[in-house]
Amino acid sequence: MSKKCREIELLLSAYVENELSREEAAGISEHLGNCPDCLAKKEKIEELISRLSDLQEEVPFFLKNRLYNIPEIIEKRAPVKLLVFPKWLAAAIGTIILFLNLFYFTNIFPPGNRTLHSFVSSVEKIVVKSGGWIERIKESKELLFFTLFNKKSAEAKSSSRGHEVTGEKGGKNG
Amino acid sequence: MLINAYSKSVYNIALNFFAERDIASDVTQEIFIKVYHNLNKYKEEKNFSSWIFAISRNYCIDYWRKNKKYMINRQELDDNIKAGQPTPEENLIRESEIDGLRKKLARLEPELRLAIILRDIQDLSYQEIAERFSIPEGTVKSRINRARLKLAQAYMQGDA
Repeated sequence: MSKKCREIELLLSAYVENELSREEAAGISEHLGNCPDCLAKKEKIEELISRLSDLQEEVPFFLKNRLYNIPEIIEKRAPVKLLVFPKWLAAAIGTIILFLNLFYFTNIFPPGNRTLHSFVSSVEKIVVKSGGWIERIKESKELLFFTLFNKKSAEAKSSSRGHEVTGEKGGKNG
Repeated sequence: MLINAYSKSVYNIALNFFAERDIASDVTQEIFIKVYHNLNKYKEEKNFSSWIFAISRNYCIDYWRKNKKYMINRQELDDNIKAGQPTPEENLIRESEIDGLRKKLARLEPELRLAIILRDIQDLSYQEIAERFSIPEGTVKSRINRARLKLAQAYMQGDA
């Protein structure tokens, strides 16, 4: 391919679409008259432009239906909103826990070790005490439920007995 | 409203980009899901058609990159089928001219493909295409010329 052909190639689309000046278009026409390769390309481009417009299609019916259902699809796909927890915060918490473990299980820094142990023992005391409170609360709850349940069941029993008696009486009368 | 106004344009971009109806349908659906998800991010000073085109373009190119291997294999398979002597049965099931053109179009680089789809299939002006791509008009013209030349060359080699 000659240098001239390469130059013409760059302008072929503009030439086909009549976007060039008269002089430029005349120059290209002259070249096309002498160069069968460039003429063939120009004719092919013209043919392609007319055929490409046929590639436009209507949206298929089933796809339109699918598109109209998109709001429902979005609702189904909606992600569960999780608590926002930045990575740096997680890393910081992890590092603190690691150091606390280090001070607790080793004696690298004795004052730290002592404070940690005393802190843990005080937490343990609180847990033990709170465990006692929880048990007491549970017991009192159970007691409350037991009395209520008994009361209700007693009422239910007495009412059912009453029904039985009236039923028997009615039966006898009938 | 949104679907009536833009589904044809988006579907035709996808169809002529991938040259496969199934993929085009799935991609169109995914593009509209993205559009619905990002409607709150749309800025009014921007052209809405350009905004939808930007989503379509990005999605098509991403999908193409992820499935490039499969798509190229399919194209090669098509070539091998064509290379053999066509039997009468093969002639009967031979792709239509439109499908053939679409498949040749699908072999161009993604950006060239999109440019030619907007210009020669969707009949947009060079200025509109430049707005859609956010690039100068001159670049659009040279892309389209390049795309047409490559397509013409592919046809001429096929005819030979």
